[in-house]
Amino acid sequence: MSADLNAATPSPLHAAVPATGPGAAALPVSRTPVGEAPPVEVPPVGEAPVRAAVGQIAAAVARASDRGARVAAITIALAWHTAVALPAVLAGHAGLAAPGVVLAAWALVAVLGVLTGVRLLHDTPLPAWPLAGLLLAVDVTVFAAVGGTQLFTAANWVWSTLGWFFVLALWGRRVVGLVALLAAHSLIAFAAVVGYGATAPADLARYAMYVYGTVSLPIAAFAGSAVIAALARQRAATAAATRATTAERDAAERARRDRRERLALVSGAAGAVLADLAEGRADPADPHVQRRAVLAASRLRRLIAESDDVPDPLLHELRAAADLAERNGVPIDLVTIGTPPPLPVDVRRRLAEPLTATLADARGWARLTVVSAPDEVVVSLVTPDRDGPDATGPPPGWDDTDDGRVDQLYERDGEIRWAQARWRR
Amino acid sequence: MGAGPVAEMSGERPVGVAIVDDHPVVVDGVRAWLATEPRLTVLATGDDPDEVLRSAPDADVVLLDLRLHGRMVLDKLSELSAAGRRVVVYSEHSDPETMLAALDAGAVAFLAKHEGREHCVATVLAAASDRPYVPPALAGAMVGDPRPDRPVLSDKEREALLLWFQSMSKASVARRMRISEHTVKQYVDRARIKYTRAGRPAATKAALLARAIEDGLIRPEEIGIYRSQARYDRPTP
Repeated sequence: MSADLNAATPSPLHAAVPATGPGAAALPVSRTPVGEAPPVEVPPVGEAPVRAAVGQIAAAVARASDRGARVAAITIALAWHTAVALPAVLAGHAGLAAPGVVLAAWALVAVLGVLTGVRLLHDTPLPAWPLAGLLLAVDVTVFAAVGGTQLFTAANWVWSTLGWFFVLALWGRRVVGLVALLAAHSLIAFAAVVGYGATAPADLARYAMYVYGTVSLPIAAFAGSAVIAALARQRAATAAATRATTAERDAAERARRDRRERLALVSGAAGAVLADLAEGRADPADPHVQRRAVLAASRLRRLIAESDDVPDPLLHELRAAADLAERNGVPIDLVTIGTPPPLPVDVRRRLAEPLTATLADARGWARLTVVSAPDEVVVSLVTPDRDGPDATGPPPGWDDTDDGRVDQLYERDGEIRWAQARWRR
Repeated sequence: MGAGPVAEMSGERPVGVAIVDDHPVVVDGVRAWLATEPRLTVLATGDDPDEVLRSAPDADVVLLDLRLHGRMVLDKLSELSAAGRRVVVYSEHSDPETMLAALDAGAVAFLAKHEGREHCVATVLAAASDRPYVPPALAGAMVGDPRPDRPVLSDKEREALLLWFQSMSKASVARRMRISEHTVKQYVDRARIKYTRAGRPAATKAALLARAIEDGLIRPEEIGIYRSQARYDRPTP
């Protein structure tokens, strides 16, 4: 049993360490591709990828810890088979009823045992029930071949050894199956005991002792390894979930800090306009003052509209692009409806990049909208249409090709320029 | 920005408007907006809906700020709508949930405070004649409605709402969808009428529905069944 414990215990510890990997790696991945991003950035964390990573880590830990238990079980079975059973058969050779059959059965089980072990370690176990049937057939054959005199000796190797091969055959299944097999094993033995007429009280007592001895250890090992694997899985999942939560909380706190800073900045700008107006230094009729007010108002509205704790990567990119374009003095409305589902990076790029490129070029005003549903995300940018030699076709970054998942549309109608990217699941 | 054709008024009397808001500067601003439209007259203003309506019992339309003294007054909105008051909610809370909740409570229309004069005047005029008016922000809320029991909109209605929300120009939507501006408005308004069936019944919702049938915007047989709108997905002439 200690072999199981030793093999399994270190695994959760080792495997829990890489748990930081996916959680931490998620941070830099979703940084905005806009080159000249605003100074303060919030690296967003997708919630779903973190959850998925937690599941993967738990599975990996369970696999690692289970592997240890498998190695232990295979070692016990094969070691017992060669170090205890074989010498006994060879020593008791002369007294056996059909020594050739007993030896051949031993060889067959040895081959089966090696094969089962190899397949088990490669995660491609042999079909459990045919294998179990074959082992039971060997069981019957050997009990018949040893003869009455050697029934209770070690030369009747199946009695003590075969239980471990049952364990290998049924690895990873419910313990009930193993109990059934061992019960069948004991019944076969009982039939042999009765058949050979060994029904004296001393023989029956020996029988009972043998049954207890051969059944208890395999069941304990089998159940023990299952419990250890489950515990390891649980512990790893807890550790990974804790790390994921921590990463999420950090991102949320960073987002909050960032928003406070931006709010302070915007409030300052808005406060300055209001103060100038109140003290008569600024004239409400002055277009420049109006523009300052419009800019401050649109910036405040965008901040107020940010309701997500941990920024969604797509919204984050668009907000960053809006903040950037606003430095050119363009008031930008960014209206989002719904929360985008987790999107693959290439889809997100095809949704956001053409729009951010167009946004950088916007003059006058801009309206950026995002409508999200679980199976559809539509991003749109509308700016006033203006003349100019550069205004003939779609700006760089646009390809009106439809890659099957993201449609991109770019239109000018003299009144507005309208860029739209739509993803459908 | 193409606020759309404004509903014509029946009779000579201008539409009486009551404004309920707890910020005097907003009341003054909205009053100034409405003053530019001769078909509208402001009868009373104040920060308490009951007081305002006591002093102007004949008001045709109530412009109600959804947040009064720090409290969301959705219950008051339901009460007024149930009593047949045409309430246009206007609020700085333009998140979709709030807008849809206001429609459910019986508001004739929802206006985000930043949407400006043009939409405000158009909304009030439409409301006075029990006709729908869907400003872009509300269109966005409707098209993104995630509730499982939301009204079933046709593809054209959804597309018209989405494009109207994006562009705020019915002319551009019309060009994009290759239909007339009038038809764009019909799609948008029809989507809005379907929302009269969401939430609790209210006198205002019934009035909107009745006028929509009268105007031929939707057919009586479309009422109550929102499962299959595909075969009615043609604008009425």
